[in-house]
Amino acid sequence: MSIEYTINYSTTNTYENIVKSAFWQFLILPESNKNQELVNVKLNNSLNVANEISINGYGFKTVRIHTKKEFTKLLFEATFHVIKNDINPYQFTEDNTEEIKLINNINYLIDFESFLKCTTYTKLPKTDHKLFVFDWSKTIFQNLQNLNNWVYNFIYFKVNKTNIYTTLEEIIINKHGVCQDFTHLFCAIARKNKIATRYTSGYLHQGNGYFGDSQMHAWAEAYIPKIGWVGFDPTNDLLADINHIKVCHGKDYQDCAPLKGVIYATGKNKTSHTVQVLSQQQ
Amino acid sequence: MTNIENKIFSSYQKDATLYDEIFDSEGQIKEVYQKLFSLYGEHSIKDYVNLNSKAKASFFNQGITFQVYGDKETKEKIFPFDLFPRIIDPTEWDIIEKGSIQRSKALNLFLWDVYHDKNIIKDGIVPMELISSSDNYLDQMQGLEPPEGIYNHISGIDIIKHNDGKYYVLEDNIRCPSGVSYVICNRTALKRALFGVFNHYQTYSVTNYAENLLDLLETVKPHGVDVPNTVVLTPGMYNSAFYEHSYLAKTMGVELVEGRDLFVENDFVYMKTIKGPEKVDIIYRRVDDQFIDPLEFNPDSVLGVPGLFAAYKKGNITLANAPGTGVADDKAIYTYMPEIIKYYLKEEPILNNVHTYHCSRPDELEYVLKHIHELVIKPVDEAGGYGILIGNKLSDKEIELAKNQIKATPRKYVAQPIMSLSVHPTYIDDSEEFEQRHVDLRVFTVLGKNKEFVLKGGLTRVALQKGNLIVNSSQGGGSKDTWVLKSI
Repeated sequence: MSIEYTINYSTTNTYENIVKSAFWQFLILPESNKNQELVNVKLNNSLNVANEISINGYGFKTVRIHTKKEFTKLLFEATFHVIKNDINPYQFTEDNTEEIKLINNINYLIDFESFLKCTTYTKLPKTDHKLFVFDWSKTIFQNLQNLNNWVYNFIYFKVNKTNIYTTLEEIIINKHGVCQDFTHLFCAIARKNKIATRYTSGYLHQGNGYFGDSQMHAWAEAYIPKIGWVGFDPTNDLLADINHIKVCHGKDYQDCAPLKGVIYATGKNKTSHTVQVLSQQQ
Repeated sequence: MTNIENKIFSSYQKDATLYDEIFDSEGQIKEVYQKLFSLYGEHSIKDYVNLNSKAKASFFNQGITFQVYGDKETKEKIFPFDLFPRIIDPTEWDIIEKGSIQRSKALNLFLWDVYHDKNIIKDGIVPMELISSSDNYLDQMQGLEPPEGIYNHISGIDIIKHNDGKYYVLEDNIRCPSGVSYVICNRTALKRALFGVFNHYQTYSVTNYAENLLDLLETVKPHGVDVPNTVVLTPGMYNSAFYEHSYLAKTMGVELVEGRDLFVENDFVYMKTIKGPEKVDIIYRRVDDQFIDPLEFNPDSVLGVPGLFAAYKKGNITLANAPGTGVADDKAIYTYMPEIIKYYLKEEPILNNVHTYHCSRPDELEYVLKHIHELVIKPVDEAGGYGILIGNKLSDKEIELAKNQIKATPRKYVAQPIMSLSVHPTYIDDSEEFEQRHVDLRVFTVLGKNKEFVLKGGLTRVALQKGNLIVNSSQGGGSKDTWVLKSI
């Protein structure tokens, strides 16, 4: 089965004072991979300047806008058509001896070093809070599924309580947050248990009341030896499936920030985003 | 036998524990210095004072200054220049040149490896932690192919001569090593002051650096470019090495630009000119990694060019040096240099390394804490001589403080035995006499496609304070003209 999605992304940036020159970089284009194909892109901005397609430092496609005209408001809209294939059920092993051997192998530790290390956002604090503990009598997949469920139950989804500067320590104490907080906590605990895990940014098709529509979504991908990268969505206690449309991955939010800008202006600014994901089953 | 009762050296005091570059252990003048010694002897110390002040004025008039960063204020200074040159004979130079090329090539192969397969780590030669904990390792460089596979186009290797008479490398500088303009200006100043002495020696020219640098940079132009357009990217006139940036651009005959003079469109880099945009292919950048592109690295940087890194990643420009080279000139990696050379080149290192203790290793940490008064303590990621502690110069209180610092963050420190840098007669303003002062040598190596160039001269830096071992200009060092002889 495959589903065709139409994704509408739009952002409005307003500035208190006149901006003389600006650069924006949007990391919002769905990637094409074995489970999804980006078939069409439409881009539009209110400044009537070129929308350049480029890449970021990790090779993911970006849209870049540069203007030298003076302005105080930018409206940017993008429409994507994506065909998403159903993700095949994975063949998970029952016996974990082989996979435990593999995650302790020096080559695995070196090759996946980027996704095993602790970053600013995935640093676990020293707290008295009891965090999820891996049960090594079970397989890696079972452990990750339990971790996914644990994170889902541990944090209450609440918007506007956290922001991009919130640390895991605050999340663990206050126990509320949004998808990026769920994902950072999942990554942190998985990495602590030597499972290479990456922060994944994208869109979620919200068919039946899942969190994540109307904004970009975040989930985690963990590397399971002999199977590869498997997506876990701790915000919804799901495995990433046909409803998860991937844009990019990185060590944490910082590598995946959907919007980066260099603005030559003073004063305050306001940014708002809306995301809409529509489906049409084929 | 040369007359040691030379007028200007009549009160020269020789400390027998130090290795003097011009006097041997019996107090005799070494062969290469004999002619120079008698030529200088024809002058009185008064002539010397006179010439010295003229040389200083010439530096000031040319604007050859640099800035010293301090806690309180930033000052513009001239780089003190000494009129008595250092001479390196052809046999010794041969070792230095071959050794510098060997090191630069090995560092280049190491950089390729740590940004690709990481075989040196998998084979257990270099520990993973040194790479993963280094702030200078850029994940964005993973899998990226710099044009012609060159990362460290320009290397500045700091070499000293120990009291055993052998050369040792103290550190490799492969981010944006500076100092080469002083090599050339020192030569010019000495020729102006004492032209006659050059008639008695067959000395290699140093003025060919810029043309060789440009030639070699052009060999690593981006794929598909016919005649490359090169620029020098400077952080601007407030940078300590701004003089050098402008000097190099001028002598290479290329434009000197700041970040705001460049822009990126469709992943190509252009320079704004009065005739409209002009495409740029090679950027000799003297802006640090974190500042080259605010969209990819430090978002607050106003020194860089938004979109520059994407243009680089797409192979549309050459950046010299490549971003992320800092992971290899880290002082902790330095200690693995002999192994790194053997691993990639299957050769024995030509230049010696100083034995280094890693505070990150528990047994070595213990040794360092116990013998701290016999060691030099260096932070692994500071350049320019900042934060270096010399054990035998510290008070008890300072030793306690240093120990606590090391114990708190052992990964941040390495320690080495106190090397006795050789000394060279240096004219000292205060005493109006020649005195022994410690010197080192920075050698500049340029790597191109299947071609390399070593500047036959290098920068001899002098620690002007008596007994001081730190020669960095930012720490109050001076410099000397350095002669490499074609023949004796």
